[in-house]
Parts: sequence; structure tokens; C-alpha cells
Amino acid sequence: MTEPLVHLQHVSRVYEMGRLQVVALRDVDVAIQSGEFVAVLGPSGSGKSTLMHIVGCLDRPTSGQYTLAGTPVAALDDDRLAALRSRAIGFVFQSYNLLARTNALENVAAPLLYQGVSRRERYRRAGAALERLGLGDRVDHSPAELSGGQQQRVAIARALVTDPALILADEPTGNLASDQGAEVLSLFRELHSAGRTIVLITHDQEVAAAAGRQIHIRDGSIADGEIAA
Amino acid sequence: MSIVELVRLALSRIGSSRLRAALTMLGVIIGVASVVALVAVGQGATSGITARLQGLGTNLLTVNPGSSTQGFTRGAAGTATSLTADDANAIAALNGVAAVEPEISSQQLVAAGSLNSTTSIVGTTADYATVRAFTIWQGSFLTPATVDAGVSVAVLGATTADDLGLGASAIGTQVTIGGLPFQVVGILQAKGSSGPFSQDDQVLIPMATARHYFVQGDTIRSIGVSVATPDQMDLVKAEIQTTLEQRHGIAAGGTDDFTITDQAQLLSTVSAVTTTLTILLAGIASISLVVGGIGIMNIMLVSVHERTREIGIRKAIGARGRDVLAQFLIEALTLSLLGGMVGIVLGVAVSALIGAVAGWGFVFNPITPLVAVLFSLLVGVVFGVWPARQAARLDPIVALRYE
Repeated sequence: MTEPLVHLQHVSRVYEMGRLQVVALRDVDVAIQSGEFVAVLGPSGSGKSTLMHIVGCLDRPTSGQYTLAGTPVAALDDDRLAALRSRAIGFVFQSYNLLARTNALENVAAPLLYQGVSRRERYRRAGAALERLGLGDRVDHSPAELSGGQQQRVAIARALVTDPALILADEPTGNLASDQGAEVLSLFRELHSAGRTIVLITHDQEVAAAAGRQIHIRDGSIADGEIAA
Repeated sequence: MSIVELVRLALSRIGSSRLRAALTMLGVIIGVASVVALVAVGQGATSGITARLQGLGTNLLTVNPGSSTQGFTRGAAGTATSLTADDANAIAALNGVAAVEPEISSQQLVAAGSLNSTTSIVGTTADYATVRAFTIWQGSFLTPATVDAGVSVAVLGATTADDLGLGASAIGTQVTIGGLPFQVVGILQAKGSSGPFSQDDQVLIPMATARHYFVQGDTIRSIGVSVATPDQMDLVKAEIQTTLEQRHGIAAGGTDDFTITDQAQLLSTVSAVTTTLTILLAGIASISLVVGGIGIMNIMLVSVHERTREIGIRKAIGARGRDVLAQFLIEALTLSLLGGMVGIVLGVAVSALIGAVAGWGFVFNPITPLVAVLFSLLVGVVFGVWPARQAARLDPIVALRYE
């Protein structure tokens, strides 16, 4: 069996809040193979955001091992972590998190800036990514000039532009009307069938159903283990 | 990320909030402009004063009588009647002395036609023009022949000629000095000095003539000595001192009844004073530059706070701490540098205006703007680093949650 793309072993995350210790994740084991479409499902406060932060290399485990694409994350400093994010992960957020006052093309091109890609190449690849998502005629629109669904598609284009190993989506349909949400989910399924690895974090059973496998998380622990669907 | 990308990012950011950027830069603009303008004013004043002092004559030593003492009361310097024409002749015979001019003077009413003016009548010799660095504008100067003959001829200062309504055509005409007729033989080139002791407001006549009509006795007011070369100044000064002490019967180390003023000494004193003033002005102006820098820091801190979410997004999509640091630092630097450039243009314009009004012309020292730009860059770095570090240190998770 090949090494999983995302591999968490006995991962715990404890926050120190003054004298209080809050355990957000307790001894979590997760393995996600390349090419999988996995939904992490749990109510709010279950620790799924913490899990997403760790999987997304925005945070480090307090204890345990996390390996992303063969790289042990715990040993990395902030700069290497940023470089790993830049190379391996594309984020899609609930609130889109596009750069305001910056047009769609610049938004999509932004991750390439931190990879040192030339200006011409950045715009070429960003334009192509927007084209693929059907936003070819919206390149010079600012986020404020786009609908929620369009903004989320710009965000997905931004996540795809670096051709990352993993797409990490945090409640990507949470702010969208149901038809636009369905559109985004079918987009994820399309990407999955094209071979992308996608981790979708949600509290919504219906949304989670779009994924090939579900991981249930409750009170900082994996509820029903890591059962392949 | 390359510098070009960072500058492009900073410029587009500045371009998207122009009013705020302009107001932020205003502090640096005023700071740099005032440094450039005030230093130029200081340097202009220095060169103006220096030029005027040099206009008095180069390599000039002036010997004046000391103070007179009547009973136990010591009078003001120059009141003694210790210098004579023979002293002047003795000095003229010394090594290294190029020319000597003794002077006596008297205030008299000068009249030409219906115009008149009360001015200083100076009795002197033909060497006066050489020693005091005067050139003739019209006609000719006093000649050794006219001086020796003691004829009634006069050379007018530029201002005096002007006051009397006399121009180029006045050469050969008559004026009256103290009621006596004098023939105008020349008019001096103006030196441009002004005020109550202007060198342009005087009438020069032969020594013997002045002695005959206006000044009794055989003492003289001062002796101007032109030294052959600048490096002989100290030597000649010592020679004059020894000679006069011998002639006046003063023991070495005793109190001299004369003073010797060195033009170069005066010049270096004046330039030391004006240099100090220039530094003082620049120092005061620098304060406003620092205040401008604080303005930039203030805005950058606000900006970091406002753009917390942007910083979180950038970090999530792969920006390292140093990328964010560089972005905000370059933004502060761009603001301060743009402000610095505008400030230089403004400062140069203001100093040109002041130079034109004050009459020393436009003094432009390329070092000043260079220093001002470097200083404004320094301001940008010093006051930009802290906000930029704040931005770079933000935790991406916290920054992304920030509303």
C-alpha cells in the first residue's frame, strides 16, 4: 500500500487558555489516499476546524505525527510550512476570502506570486483556470462585482492554479444559495473524477454525501473510525 | 518575490487609496522640502556673505589705530591718533607687501546741480583700487600724478553717483564737495553691498587734497595692506606688528596702539558661524522629517490592522512571513521615497524663490537632495519595519477569522 497523501497518526491539539487546557483534537488517526474525495463531517465545536488547520498546515499538532505528501510537518518552521502550503494545498473557504479591490485574474494569480512565477506566466495560468471554471468573461471583475457562486468559483480557480496535491474546502457551500451550492458540489465531483484529492469539511450531512467517504468527528475524536466507504 | 513585484504591489495599493497616500506623504514632503530649502538658504547666505567679504579685497590686512587713553579713560578702538603716513610708507617697504593705501576721511556734503548727498570723503592714494579690489566703471581712477599734485579731482562710488543723478556722461563735469569745486574723473563699479556702511557710497579724492581742505593733522584713519600671496599673510602681519612696535616705541609684549585685522580670519569666522547656522536650520528641519516618518508609521499600523484578513489570505495561499514583511516595508518605503522626491522638487523651488528674493541667486548643491532622499528612505525603513513585522507575525488562522 502506498503512503497516504494525508496521514495523521495519534494527532492531538491542545490550546492553552490561561490556566485552562482545551483539548480540540484527541489522538486522531486519519489516512487519505491520493485521488480520494473525503468529507469531514461534524457539528460546530467538534474540532473539525482544528483538524482542517492542521491538515492545511496552518497549525501544528501538539503531539502526534502528521505527514503531508511524504513531508513530516511537525519539524517545519513557519517559512517551510508556508512553502509547503504554497506547493501542496489549495484552500477554498466558506467566506471565499478573495482579496478585495483586486480583480478575479489577480486573485487567482496571487498564489503563483509566492512561487516566483513570472508575471506573464501567472496571468496565463490564472486566465486558463478561470476559463475552465466558466469565468473567462469575468477576469477583470472585482469580488464585489460577482455573485457568491461566482466568487466561490474564483476561489476554486485560485486553489487549482498551483496544481496542488490536495484541495482543502472548509464549508464551501455555507454562504451560498442551494442551487449555487449544488453547482459548487458538482464542480468538486468533476474535479474528483479528473483525479483531484479533495477534503471537504462540513457540518451538513447532505453536503457530505457528495464525497466518496465520510469521516465523522465529535468532541475532538474520530467517531466511527476511519472506515473506507 | 522580486523587488519589482513588491513595488508594483505597493504602487497599486497606493493608487487605490490616493488621498490617504497623499496625506501620509505630506509629512515627508514638508520634512524633505524644509531640509532642502533651509540648507540651500544657509549655503546661499554663506556664499553671499563670503562673496561680499572677498569683494572687500583679497589678501587684505587692515591696520587701524588702537584706542586712545585720556587720563584713566580708555576710548574706543580707532580713536587713537597713532598712525601716520610714514607708518604707511614703512609698511609699503616690507617684504611680501604688494600694495598699501593709507586713508583719511571726513563727512562732507557733495552736490551736483540740484541734487546733493552727505557722504564719506576718503583721501587716499592710487593703490586704493588695487588693495580694496575696486574696478572703475567709467573714466579713470586716481593716478599717482594726481595724488602727488594734490589736485581737486574726485572718483565717485556707484551709489553716490546714482544719488547725485550722475551717469557715464558725468566724467569731466564738476561737483562741489564741502562747497569746493572738484572735477569728476571716474565712477566706480558697484560692489553690490548696501546699508549704512556701503562701500559704494563714498567719494575718493587724493590724500594731499583731503589733508589740505578737510582733515587737519598728519594722522591717518587706517592703512589697507595687500599681501602678495595668501600664504604670506601671517608673515606680513607679524612684520607689520614688529615694524609698528619699533616705530611707536612699544616693547615686545606691550600693549599695541594699533590693531591688524586679517581678512581671511574674518572670513573663516563668518563661515564658521554660517555653517553652524546651516546645521542648526537643517537640524530643525529634520525634526519635521521625523514627524513625517511617524505619520507613515501610524498609517502603516492602521493599514496592517485593516488588512489583517488580506494578510491571513496571503499567508494561507503561500506567503511566508518575510513576503508579508517585504510587502509592507516596500509600501512604507515607496510612500517615503515618493514623498521625498516631491519634497526635493518643492524644496528646490522654495530655495530658488528665496535666493531670488534675497539676491544671492540660486544655489543648488546636488548633495542635499541626495542626502534628503537617503534620509527619507531611512525614515521609511525605521518607521516601516515595526508595522511590517506586526503584519508578518500574524497567525494566519487568527488573521483569517478576523472580521
